Amino acid sequence: MTVSRYMALNKRLISGEALTFSQGPGKWLHQTTQDEDRPLYYPKIGIYTGKGASHSWLWFADIFERLGFYDLAFLTENDLAQDALDRLDVLAMSGGDTFAIAEALGPKGARKLEDFITAGGLYLGSCAGAYLPLYSSKEHLNHFNFVAAKITNLTKTLPEAHSMKEKFCTCYGCSFIYHPVREEIEVTTSGLPPFGTSMTLTAPLYGGPPMTVTDPETILATYTNFTNKTLFLVDRELAEKTLFGNAAIIRGKMGQGHLHLFGPHFEHPHYLEANLFLANAMMWDLPVQPSPSTDLDDEMESRVGSEKKTFIRNLKRELSNSRIVAAGLEMSPLKWTIGNKVYEAGKIRVFLEAIWQRLRSFEKMTPVLVRPGQDGLLVQTALHITENIRKIKRGWDRQADTLEPARALFGFLNRTSALFLEIYFRSKRFHYSRENCIGTLSWSN
Amino acid sequence: MGLCEQDTIFRYGGFFMGIQIDALKCIACMACELACGYHRDDAFALLSSCIVPYRGREKKNYVGVILKEEDSLVAARPEGIEINRIGEEQDPEKEADASAKPMLLRESCDLCDDQDDGPLCIVFCPTGAISMT
Amino acid sequence: MEYLASDKIAIVDLGSRDITEEELEEDLVLDKIGGAGITKHLYDQYASAQSNDNGPIVLGTGLLTGTLVPGSSLGIMTAKSPSTGKVSHVPLHLDAGIELKYSGFDYIVIKGKAEKPVYLWIHDGIVDINDADELWGKDTWTATDDIRSEMGDDLIQVLGIGRAGENGSDLAQVGINYWQSADRMGFGKLFGEKNLKLIAIRGMGLLEISEPEDFIEDCAELITTIRSNSLMDMQGIAATAAALGEEDFRDWIGPLTHRHMACFNTPVATSTFIFTDEDPALLKESTVPEPGFLLTDIFPLITFKKAGLSAKETGAVLKACAKYGIDGAAVAELSAKSGLTSPEDIEKALPDLKGPVECAGSSVFSAWAAVGKETDENWERRQAVAYVMGIHPIWLQMAPDLTEEKLLDLAGLGTELELPQETLDEVIADILV
Repeated sequence: MTVSRYMALNKRLISGEALTFSQGPGKWLHQTTQDEDRPLYYPKIGIYTGKGASHSWLWFADIFERLGFYDLAFLTENDLAQDALDRLDVLAMSGGDTFAIAEALGPKGARKLEDFITAGGLYLGSCAGAYLPLYSSKEHLNHFNFVAAKITNLTKTLPEAHSMKEKFCTCYGCSFIYHPVREEIEVTTSGLPPFGTSMTLTAPLYGGPPMTVTDPETILATYTNFTNKTLFLVDRELAEKTLFGNAAIIRGKMGQGHLHLFGPHFEHPHYLEANLFLANAMMWDLPVQPSPSTDLDDEMESRVGSEKKTFIRNLKRELSNSRIVAAGLEMSPLKWTIGNKVYEAGKIRVFLEAIWQRLRSFEKMTPVLVRPGQDGLLVQTALHITENIRKIKRGWDRQADTLEPARALFGFLNRTSALFLEIYFRSKRFHYSRENCIGTLSWSN
Repeated sequence: MGLCEQDTIFRYGGFFMGIQIDALKCIACMACELACGYHRDDAFALLSSCIVPYRGREKKNYVGVILKEEDSLVAARPEGIEINRIGEEQDPEKEADASAKPMLLRESCDLCDDQDDGPLCIVFCPTGAISMT
Repeated sequence: MEYLASDKIAIVDLGSRDITEEELEEDLVLDKIGGAGITKHLYDQYASAQSNDNGPIVLGTGLLTGTLVPGSSLGIMTAKSPSTGKVSHVPLHLDAGIELKYSGFDYIVIKGKAEKPVYLWIHDGIVDINDADELWGKDTWTATDDIRSEMGDDLIQVLGIGRAGENGSDLAQVGINYWQSADRMGFGKLFGEKNLKLIAIRGMGLLEISEPEDFIEDCAELITTIRSNSLMDMQGIAATAAALGEEDFRDWIGPLTHRHMACFNTPVATSTFIFTDEDPALLKESTVPEPGFLLTDIFPLITFKKAGLSAKETGAVLKACAKYGIDGAAVAELSAKSGLTSPEDIEKALPDLKGPVECAGSSVFSAWAAVGKETDENWERRQAVAYVMGIHPIWLQMAPDLTEEKLLDLAGLGTELELPQETLDEVIADILV
């Protein structure tokens, strides 16, 4: 599959066209069983943005958008603990702090997740999201235990760090989880169904797990090589021993559903081949029955004309104000420790850019669909971003402590970007389906 | 890490090469910033540049140059070089972030490895404030 | 307009507080190219014979402003000069021009008069009209500090007036941040009449280039040639003075010289920062909040020097002029005429100074860039090219490699538009009418 093929496929699916896997271009996923008659449909994808999630959840939004998947929901731990998963086919969990995610979801969230997968839902876990469902006796993680895989980067004796001493390990009870390398790494796919021939891909590793499993049929890819961009944090020999031949991607099953666990970030937007592999795997293991459609209902309000223009202008104003301050701070050594994570000033603009880069196309959408009050709330949270970032700047100038406004700021940044993307993708999906509901498009193999 | 005499050095293709900045020769014209921005974006823009003249103390005429490297910000101040590690834990009692994700905004200096004439900041600096070791 | 532009013109009505936007049409660029060619066009379009004010103020940038063409720093402010009565053009140099280019607008027309003091905040394609009650009455330094602190960014460029403009002085200058600008036209008075305290600008824009590789290659060749030229030794304002025959100027200013500062992407630094209240040899950041002043205009320096003031006294006087928002060149000329030689007396006299002054010149372009040259036809032509293309007007006089042909060539590579010499000739003729 390619980007253009996914765009073409998704146009047909969102228009309501009934397609099956056998109608893919040739051997799309190289599968040759009766599963080819399974219906294809436009998936509803949730992306976790709650406590413990790092900014890499934005990468999922980027790649799904690029491939034409616009039915996206952005979920906090509270959403997961309620009934948000009932309306989804896929949950994507990206990187961050595994322990914080587990603690935030708690036993209630873990049970909801378990029910979701067991009933047929698909879980995509990348990096911290891959660690989350693995067997563990540790507090909070022990609510999950969905996949019987072990990690190979767990040790009782900390190896010697070659570089970046501050980055390469985390405590895990009486042991350590160490990260042998960072940046780009090579994996080789197994060629097991639903995929055809084996291929070599590159993707970046930022602390994700190398795994071993008892059933080799569940391994979709193994770590096989380094590249000239690989950064070694330990001795090369140890890195090879930890990674090579061990699973980089596994495909677990639980009840009717599946879990795809990615050690490297296959959702990193600079690695297209990896993104396509992730999308292929996702499409193959979608629930047999899609979850009920919701969201574009009577509760929605349209924003058009001058009301839309004013809303977007007010949003743009605050984003610009914040972005200006953020750009000025990001070449400073300013940083804060919030929870167990270090936040640099440069991270502020990551969230702002995720919104900013989409504003132009957002401005062209008519109508923009919001839940009652969402537009006002979005502008309000954007204003809070401006207030807090200016507080940080003033504090920095006076050499005062800026942790409190930083804590508030990152909370607002996450909330604002998730809220904006919810509105953005809802509106985009509306336009996309409206544009494509008439006529059929030719499918080119 | 405080002020030191050390040049900025980082790994490139297995060889150690360095961008060297003489802050006293800098006239804060920002040609380097725009050139680097062009290298990143194939357009004229300043937001992606990894080399930035520091202009924030205008009334005091305190001017330097900041360079983003892979794991550090190098500040070429008039009085010397200062290096600040990115992502380093400030509280030694707490663990540092072991799995920090890159931010993909300002990437670190790559010496313009795709340019025949080498780093564009050096090409466009009018005073020779930037050079290679 | 797809390349080297934001494709937006803002029309700001200070009276009604309405802001409308228009596209920058390619036809307009093909017809008027850019910079003063278009600001003049917009001025003519929006100036109303029935209006009882002095017409609009138009901000703009040259076609090549904000690119890697050496010297591409120029912004332009066009309005009817209260002192000369002509539609005139003031260069916005230092970093003001580039900030305007990346602000999300190519041109901004400011018309009408605000009911009470306001300021404009121009950022990323948005123009906000904000109340300036708390800024009105403040000197330019305090106002600039306040705006930067309020908005949270030290790189915001501020075009603002002091008490001189608020009080309607013909000699009032629109300053750039804390410094004297090239405004010899009394545009500060226009701001005051409109109840416009200042314009704050900051932008994070991006300019697409039609043929980027060729464009950059040409720019690289230019700067390589320029770097090997002996004019690169002319760094700082003392070098400019020496070129004008003021040989002992270096000795006069030397002991206070801290550093030379260039305008955006301009290979020769035409400004010099002196420390009047700090050791100029100090390398680390001074603990003195205001240790000195940036000298940006050679004329008042030479005039005050001839009047017997020391460099330190001159720096103090020019700082006072900048804070008060009055043209230092005019102050120098009038002080010399009236025999004022003590800084205290000169500062006391600032509110009462009146023109006319010769240093304003008779050209439609600011004589700031004359730098000892005759403002004759040749000089005016070169100025016109600078103001249309967006090249620093002093630098362009020093750089023979930047021929009109070369600049038009670069404009074509950057924009995909065919801009023949004839068009440039017509645009220049129109500006000089």
